[in-house]
Amino acid sequence: MTGLPPDVRREELVETTTTVNGELVTVAVPARLHVADFLRQHLGLTGTHVGCEQGACGMCTVMVDGEAVKSCLMFAVQLDGRNVQTVESLAEDDRLSPLQQAFKDEHALQCGFCSPGFLMTATALANQGGCPSREEIREEIAGVLCRCTGYENIVTAIERWFAESPQRAADGDAPELTTPTRPATTGGRR
Amino acid sequence: MTTLERPSETDGTGSAPRPGGIGASVPRKEDDRLLRGDGRFTDDVEPARVLHMAVARCPYPHARIVRVDATAARALEGVKHVLTGPEVRAASEPLTVLRPVPGAPQLPYYALAQDVATHEGQPVASVVATSRHVAEDALELLDIEYEPLPHVVDVLAALEPGAPVLHPSVLDSNLMAANSDGSGDPEARMREAALVVEDQFRISRVTALPMETRAVVAEWRPGARELTVHSSTQVPHLIRKQLAETLRLQESDVRAVASDVGGGFGLKLGVFPEDVLACLHAIALRRPVKWVEDRAEHFRASTHARESVHDYRIAADAEGRILAMTDVYATDIGGWNSPFGSAQLSSVVMNGPYRVEHGYAERRVTLTNKTPVGAYRGYGQPEVNFAYELLMDRLARRLDLDPVELRAMNMVKASDLPWKNPTGAVYDSGDYEKCLRMAAEAIGWDAHRAAGRTPRADGRLMGIGFSSFVERTGYASARFLAKRGSQFGAHESVTLRANRSGGLDLYTGVSTMGQSSETAFAQVISEVFGIDYEAVRVHAGDTGASPLNTGAFASRTMIAAAGALKSAAEQLAEKTLRLAAWRLETDPALLEITGSVVRRRDDETVQVSLAELFTNAITGQGIAPGEEPGLESTAHFEPSDAAYSFGTAAALVSVDPDTGEFTVERFVLVHDAGTVVNQKIVDGQVRGALAQGFGAALTEELRYDPDTGQLVNGSMVDYFVPTAADLPPIELLHTTVPSPVTTFGLRGVGEAGTIPPGAAVANGICDALADFGVELNSLPITAESIWRALCGRATKETPDDDLAPTPGDLPDGGVGY
Repeated sequence: MTGLPPDVRREELVETTTTVNGELVTVAVPARLHVADFLRQHLGLTGTHVGCEQGACGMCTVMVDGEAVKSCLMFAVQLDGRNVQTVESLAEDDRLSPLQQAFKDEHALQCGFCSPGFLMTATALANQGGCPSREEIREEIAGVLCRCTGYENIVTAIERWFAESPQRAADGDAPELTTPTRPATTGGRR
Repeated sequence: MTTLERPSETDGTGSAPRPGGIGASVPRKEDDRLLRGDGRFTDDVEPARVLHMAVARCPYPHARIVRVDATAARALEGVKHVLTGPEVRAASEPLTVLRPVPGAPQLPYYALAQDVATHEGQPVASVVATSRHVAEDALELLDIEYEPLPHVVDVLAALEPGAPVLHPSVLDSNLMAANSDGSGDPEARMREAALVVEDQFRISRVTALPMETRAVVAEWRPGARELTVHSSTQVPHLIRKQLAETLRLQESDVRAVASDVGGGFGLKLGVFPEDVLACLHAIALRRPVKWVEDRAEHFRASTHARESVHDYRIAADAEGRILAMTDVYATDIGGWNSPFGSAQLSSVVMNGPYRVEHGYAERRVTLTNKTPVGAYRGYGQPEVNFAYELLMDRLARRLDLDPVELRAMNMVKASDLPWKNPTGAVYDSGDYEKCLRMAAEAIGWDAHRAAGRTPRADGRLMGIGFSSFVERTGYASARFLAKRGSQFGAHESVTLRANRSGGLDLYTGVSTMGQSSETAFAQVISEVFGIDYEAVRVHAGDTGASPLNTGAFASRTMIAAAGALKSAAEQLAEKTLRLAAWRLETDPALLEITGSVVRRRDDETVQVSLAELFTNAITGQGIAPGEEPGLESTAHFEPSDAAYSFGTAAALVSVDPDTGEFTVERFVLVHDAGTVVNQKIVDGQVRGALAQGFGAALTEELRYDPDTGQLVNGSMVDYFVPTAADLPPIELLHTTVPSPVTTFGLRGVGEAGTIPPGAAVANGICDALADFGVELNSLPITAESIWRALCGRATKETPDDDLAPTPGDLPDGGVGY
């Protein structure tokens, strides 16, 4: 879909078809383009941020087929046939989603650069079902770094979101678009 | 975590806060856009036909650049422009310094290395191409010949005779400058003292590591002579000045814009080489050029911080009263003088909260072949706190005194304030001892001291450590800054402009980087003007649309801006009431602004909406004859002095005396930030700073290989900042003593948390291991460093030999491994 500027160096492009935030996208991308750059530069979805391009900081976390994925560690061509959700998919109309609202109410962000990573990690965590304890939340979100908040309010916001959501609090009920087939790949301590 | 109830005491504001005013915990203005992925960070700015820059960097710590051949790179399809050292020298001036070291020469620092590079990562050439991929491909095609030169990375070794000199054209050693501040006769007091405790303390090199790296987008319109520079910076107005100087432009030719900034913490203060390079390329190409730093570059070419070696002494009489305190320290500035250089506040608060009449601090600013050092949250204050607080505990142990009582006895009393310390800082107000007592009570000090050192069931020993501190927030004055050659003032400014929707537009040069200034500014306006918080819209960080200001650093934004906000709001309110009085045919003194209307205090039915009044003013229709149209005010404000925040931290730690492994079981911080505008924001700032303090204390250390001069852990998988799973339980307590030197009695709040974690944890460990005679003197504190200290001094006086490591436990079979 995205036409490249005329003076771009020709490199081998690979046609890829993927669903991003519910919209089917067919695009030819360079083989070496990673998903975070694809989302930002080709689709204009700049809510996904890039912090290290090494899978260590978690800024670029999105959901692919319901799992949290560090999108700097995945090539755009690997999205072929898969379903991507970014932070832009969370708010409905002009209303923050309950998770976003919990972040706002609990002052769980300062500069906000890391927030999309935490929001998508928490969303993917909910897809696993169950209602994690505070300590489990700490471990699960430890794959995303924040240099501003000291994390306490992020943990509180996610805990509150789980507690206030009856279908999530009831074990085993996986909402959202997709059903996970295996555990999330991010989270846990480095 | 537990947030204990905070007692409200000498609270200057008295009654309940007005909704949205000072003291209210309102929703943040910044949040919705950031949570929806709709922030506008510099990398999100994507002008049409933008090109991308990549930078070739010196791989050696010290090398002569013999040759740069860009022929093959220029020939690569998609490459638009290449810059090398001579071209940069022809087109620009050396980078300027904003906070010079007094007495230091100007180093000839261009955006690209000229002849010699002095640290790994220094820019040597830059390429612009149609994509970052292609630009980086082109870097591979650059043919650069280096001649490695002898290097030095250790700060003390750099001062030795015979060390390779980094800047021989302007200096004959690596001592860039030495400054001494002090008063009294400390050497005489040292001679008379019953006891002198002293040690050499090594503070490790760390980095601020904002989650958003540096970034710049430069656009040049030659016909308009306008250079627009989007930058992730804390100081848009200061980089405008620096860019104009360096690029040989008029300041009016440059517009700097910082919309959302993904964390700064002092690192994003001023112009970096890459900013100049992007502008030079954009000017040459007449096309927009973007550069977003990658993390490998960030670790090598932004700025590092804190590294210093302090020789500290405290002299006391037999009762523990401090007679004198001195600090002679070498602070590492790296290979070049960054805009803010190495930390300058170690000398200012060298005595912490203690009454010291005789003392001095001597600073030796030292060049090494490492990444330049810049400002970082705390700016010298965590470093000295680690040293003097460890010595205070040693003094207590040597004199067999309670460390809490020793501290209390020596603290500056509330009734003695304001008080000038030996290096000339004037502590404004506060009750330091009260914070100490509250911390001791909250952590359970008396019970711990009574219990003795019985190991826990798992064999661990428990210890409690304290760290009391003061924190300078803001600057003493523009006069103080002028004496030190600083290229900025001590004031803040704001423009308020009424709009036809009945709201106020607020323009500020303070960029938004997580400090919640949009929210706090709007709260002050709501408080003073009376308008709804929601009706204030903050436009931040654009030099084309804000009054000249100083910027967001040194915990100074609110303490200076609050005065400007108050003044601008009062001016605007006065005219608004006058306009309303004319409309309502009454006396302005009978009117009040509240929410979205102006009304009579005694008869609420007599009112006019702000939307209507503002429209009258803007159109000049419906105002009194002779009244000037328009409704806008600009105010500048400089506080009368710096405000000193203060507090005490207490850490409860458990230590395994066999392995040195330890856990911070509880951490209490009692802190005073004066009058609080928004408690949620203040707590968030304190917690965030504590997390950085714990990182620097326990896990963060940038290590250089002395043989190769290479940074060995320059990536996020090798440099460990705390994750959500790493921080101890933190309890916050507050006191609220308003500062007499700022509007509303505010003190700065951004940096305090970085100061006490290292000393409190180290003191807790030394308390737990007191029977082993373990003393610590370097950061970070690790199980290994404790184990080594245990190995060196495994001479427990009681015969519990099973607790001490035996020779069989040690590699190579003995002490001294």
